[in-house]
Amino acid sequence: MRWIRAYLALARAGWASVLEYRAQIVIWMSTSLLMMIMLAVWLGISRAGPVSGFSSSDFVAYFIVGWVVRNLTAVWVSWELEYAVRSGQLSPALLRPIHPVHKEIAWHWVEKGFRMAIVLPIATLALALTPGISLALDLLSVVAFVVSVFLAWLIRFMIDYLIGILSFWSSQSTALSTGMEGIQLVLTGTIAPLALFPQAVQDVLRWTPFPYLLNFPVEIVMGRLSTEGIASGLAAQLGWSALGIVAAWVVWRTGIRRYAAFGA
Amino acid sequence: MTRYIRLLGTFLRASLLAELEYRANFVSQSLLGVLWAGISVASATVFYTQTDLVGGWRYEQTLIVIGLFVVSQGVIQFLLYPNLSQVVSMVREGTMDFVLVKPVDSQFLCSLRYMRYSGLSDLLTGVIIVGAGLTLSGARLDLLAGLMFIASLAAALAILYSIWLAMSALSFWFVQIDNLAELFNSAFDTARVPVTAYQGALRFALTFVVPIAFITTVPAQAALDMLDRSMLVVGLGIAVGALLSSRWLWLRALRNYSSASS
Repeated sequence: MRWIRAYLALARAGWASVLEYRAQIVIWMSTSLLMMIMLAVWLGISRAGPVSGFSSSDFVAYFIVGWVVRNLTAVWVSWELEYAVRSGQLSPALLRPIHPVHKEIAWHWVEKGFRMAIVLPIATLALALTPGISLALDLLSVVAFVVSVFLAWLIRFMIDYLIGILSFWSSQSTALSTGMEGIQLVLTGTIAPLALFPQAVQDVLRWTPFPYLLNFPVEIVMGRLSTEGIASGLAAQLGWSALGIVAAWVVWRTGIRRYAAFGA
Repeated sequence: MTRYIRLLGTFLRASLLAELEYRANFVSQSLLGVLWAGISVASATVFYTQTDLVGGWRYEQTLIVIGLFVVSQGVIQFLLYPNLSQVVSMVREGTMDFVLVKPVDSQFLCSLRYMRYSGLSDLLTGVIIVGAGLTLSGARLDLLAGLMFIASLAAALAILYSIWLAMSALSFWFVQIDNLAELFNSAFDTARVPVTAYQGALRFALTFVVPIAFITTVPAQAALDMLDRSMLVVGLGIAVGALLSSRWLWLRALRNYSSASS
């Protein structure tokens, strides 16, 4: 009960901030334009016929659903944390009765609500108007999709949180965050379906968290995965999430001691 | 004229000294430049794992386009973005007054004053990629092709510079112009592949509405001896038009400027 009240209060404050920065948020969303550019090129290539089993409508489905997933899994917590450490604003945040991470979580999801108000109508329209698109919209797939998107966000959040915690030691954490963003563009399947990568690359990627951050949820809703495939993917996501949470917790505990020493 | 060249030397030195103060930042930004160049190459390579031709271009030919894209990113990082962000903060804080009282052309002072040397890492990586593309595709680059390549490259730089100067000018009216730069970067992502990879209206828009095709595709065509002479003339015409109209917009903006407090 206490947690629900706390989150509601945080969400209200977050919503005020979203309204203040609404133009900025739309601009941040424009970085997803790269996906539409890639889609345009793939559509040119697949005009002659399907590419490794991907027809033109499959490409549309992949990139439009991928665009929704990308917006739902966007994170920027390392920037907030870096600023809080550099400016000293972390100190008052630490005095509050709940851990500062909860504010970030609440604000992330409020902002996603705003993004979805723009993304969902466009995505629905694009999917409805493209002929030949078939999505797996049975109950199991939809539930699996929702869960996998949430876990994808959680893993991303924890990776970015870990990078943000590095601000306790280094002034270059935002550079690392930008680099990670670039690596994720390629390895999560944001710029091209991972199914089109060379088999050897796909085999290696399976042992990293990257495919589970975008490619996996999209493939669920495209009906490209068997039930076992979905189950093992979700299990991998759970594993990476748990690892991320534990790692962030441990590193935070070490870093916060350093921060305390720093301010004293 | 010699005064302006001397000033440019001073700007280069002053920017270097400023950059040396933040060495860790220089190192990490330089590494990021190389990483992003690699990502640009990877993003176009994926297409070629599935097909031999994209928009009629072979992989080694497209490498030239990617290299020019990375070079453009380097120019933006080295020169265009640092100056734009200074103009934005000068307009916001009212320190633009100090620029206007100096006996130097304001456009010169506001577009060539700051350099960020870490941008050179993008620039050099881009040049290496262009060189690799040229070698692999066996471009001969005789005197005529070489001249056309240089001319179209100059036009490309002029167009790029004009777009950023226009954004600086717009910041006198709209304070949040950093956002516009972000939007430009998103649109500029289209320059990663030859413009022929796009169909119909999009290809037309990228050639004539937002002349992004003239920044990467056209110079690459010139180097490969694939360029229609008339396209070179059109490109040079657009470049001159862009320089003149961005200059005009800049002067308009200055007349509109009334310092921060009023």
